[in-house]
Amino acid sequence: MAENGESSGPPRPSRGPAAAQGSAAAPAEPKIIKVTVKTPKEKEEFAVPENSSVQQFKEAISKRFKSQTDQLVLIFAGKILKDQDTLIQHGIHDGLTVHLVIKSQNRPQGQSTQPSNAAGTNATSASTPRSNSTPISTNSNPFGLGSLGGLAGLSSLGLSSTNFSELQSQMQQQLMASPEMMIQIMENPFVQSMLSNPDLMRQLIMANPQMQQLIQRNPEISHLLNNPDIMRQTLEIARNPAMMQEMMRNQDLALSNLESIPGGYNALRRMYTDIQEPMLNAAQEQFGGNPFASVGSSSSSGEGTQPSRTENRDPLPNPWAPPPATQSSATTSTTTSTGSGSGNSSSNATGNTVAAANYVASIFSTPGMQSLLQQITENPQLIQNMLSAPYMRSMMQSLSQNPDLAAQMMLNSPLFTANPQLQEQMRPQLPAFLQQMQNPDTLSAMSNPRAMQALMQIQQGLQTLATEAPGLIPSFTPGVGAPGSTGSGGPTGPTVSSAAPSETTSPTSESGPNQQFIQQMVQALAGANAPQLPNPEVRFQQQLEQLNAMGFLNREANLQALIATGGDINAAIERLLGSQPS
Amino acid sequence: MAATTGSGVKVPQLVEGQKGVGDGTVSWGLEDDEDMTLTRWTGMIIGPPRTIYENRIYSLKIECGPKYPEAPPFVRFVTKINMNGVNSSNGVVDPRAISVLAKWQNSYSIKVVLQELRRLMMSKENMKLPQPPEGQCYSN
Repeated sequence: MAENGESSGPPRPSRGPAAAQGSAAAPAEPKIIKVTVKTPKEKEEFAVPENSSVQQFKEAISKRFKSQTDQLVLIFAGKILKDQDTLIQHGIHDGLTVHLVIKSQNRPQGQSTQPSNAAGTNATSASTPRSNSTPISTNSNPFGLGSLGGLAGLSSLGLSSTNFSELQSQMQQQLMASPEMMIQIMENPFVQSMLSNPDLMRQLIMANPQMQQLIQRNPEISHLLNNPDIMRQTLEIARNPAMMQEMMRNQDLALSNLESIPGGYNALRRMYTDIQEPMLNAAQEQFGGNPFASVGSSSSSGEGTQPSRTENRDPLPNPWAPPPATQSSATTSTTTSTGSGSGNSSSNATGNTVAAANYVASIFSTPGMQSLLQQITENPQLIQNMLSAPYMRSMMQSLSQNPDLAAQMMLNSPLFTANPQLQEQMRPQLPAFLQQMQNPDTLSAMSNPRAMQALMQIQQGLQTLATEAPGLIPSFTPGVGAPGSTGSGGPTGPTVSSAAPSETTSPTSESGPNQQFIQQMVQALAGANAPQLPNPEVRFQQQLEQLNAMGFLNREANLQALIATGGDINAAIERLLGSQPS
Repeated sequence: MAATTGSGVKVPQLVEGQKGVGDGTVSWGLEDDEDMTLTRWTGMIIGPPRTIYENRIYSLKIECGPKYPEAPPFVRFVTKINMNGVNSSNGVVDPRAISVLAKWQNSYSIKVVLQELRRLMMSKENMKLPQPPEGQCYSN
């Protein structure tokens, strides 16, 4: 080790600019010098003989830094130190600093945004997706199995005690991971109608804090969002998977053309990183997966499709899962646009939440969700967590403040549309019912599985009554029984019992809170014939006037158009123009 | 004459480069230790973490012209890099695109240039640009 001469070991041609440094003659005994080795993270001092080679130096370093020598790269004065050089060659003397880079074998590819975000809970659930990989893989089955496994996996993590919003993000991630479910969801006509409402979409998009940041940075995006035509186009595209693919293909073609233009590549890159990446990441963080990340130069139609993805994923769990699973669990489609109309006619936040809740409710109709519901109701803790999640509170509050909305939401069930009578019945009860939901007693009743079961019994009892003594329950229709069967575990009791007529068919409930609840229901039903919901004509009063002023004098047609487009004047005008021969 | 031009700035630079600065993420030194003119320097930037440049070592050549430090140095990447402001075919750093070069002040130094380039690697517009395979160098 302690050799005299310029280089250690067999003489070799020394490289580098200090090639002919014959003057680097070392003294007879090599002096030990102290060299500081600095990495971006740490700093260590090494005492090495002055004339040691870089290789030897690296060996000493590797011991201290616990890496292999071939992982170490030493830099001094802007040059990389090669193994066969000596320290002296590079002029490394006592007290100087050498920089070290430790090359790790698997380099993380600069994936900056996924776990770290401001949007909330994804960080905490980042660890759990790994353990959920197996449940996710079962998603290829009829989805019920998949989500069953998923939830089982989740609860095995002690999910019952965790924040429900984590569950939500879990669900979101699972959703993202499963293309079948995506397809299911996209095909859900309710979803489609929701997507067709540009205002609503815009609200939902804007509500995402990442998007807001993004919009601040890139004002063009807000232009994009505010342009109803583009939004509508986008939504149409989102709705139609085939069309989406076409768009993507066209975009890819256009992009590859752009690439070939000199300088165009850079511009594309810039565009991509400025606009699209943050958007995708914003969506990704919430939804745990950037489907476009793998697409090479993914097109800017990613912008367009993002809204759809964003909307799909917004608050997933339905605040009304167990009890209002009654009303909403069977919500699968909107025949009219009342659902989307709700988005329009209400304030932003409420429209937001209602439509989202609607959408969420529609998810619950899928078998997977129902098994989920089952599990949820079996686990009272989960229910409580769910109900106490903050946004649910706000949802409920906003719904109670705006009975109109709640009515809309409820009415979107195909059951109800098939049963106009039932519709009429449901409407008046809503305000009271909503208040019930706010009632903490109610909440605790909801979380009590026995209470749930009791309510189920009530419903069954009523069903029996209906068949046995139809005269007793005049407006009881068999259709209402359906929610009971589909809404697994959900106490369909409230719905049914409130659907029951003013006559108090005394429920055979055991527990006190149940009974109170039911009675309140019935009273509400009895007493609340007054507040009738405005019919579409009244709702669209303002829009109708506008259309009139514009010259569309056919009130009937206007109304139809408005209903079809959910109160969206622009779309209604287009419809009208399309149908009228000028 | 060339040897003494700007040496009041360059020598401290040299010393500082040898001592190692700050966080160990940039390094620079004379390309040729015998160079008395102190004009040709090599620099090294360690790619900042959480960017696409992470864990890569970028080598640069810096030439301090006769008017240095009144005029900015010429900077050129030796290691191939894809970054705004850097010519993708020869690695020359465009002085108009890099703010410290465009608005050069004579109090600036090579360290400042390297640190600024590193900072630019972390900017949103650069941090995710796809990069050529590691270890490639420009041909000239």
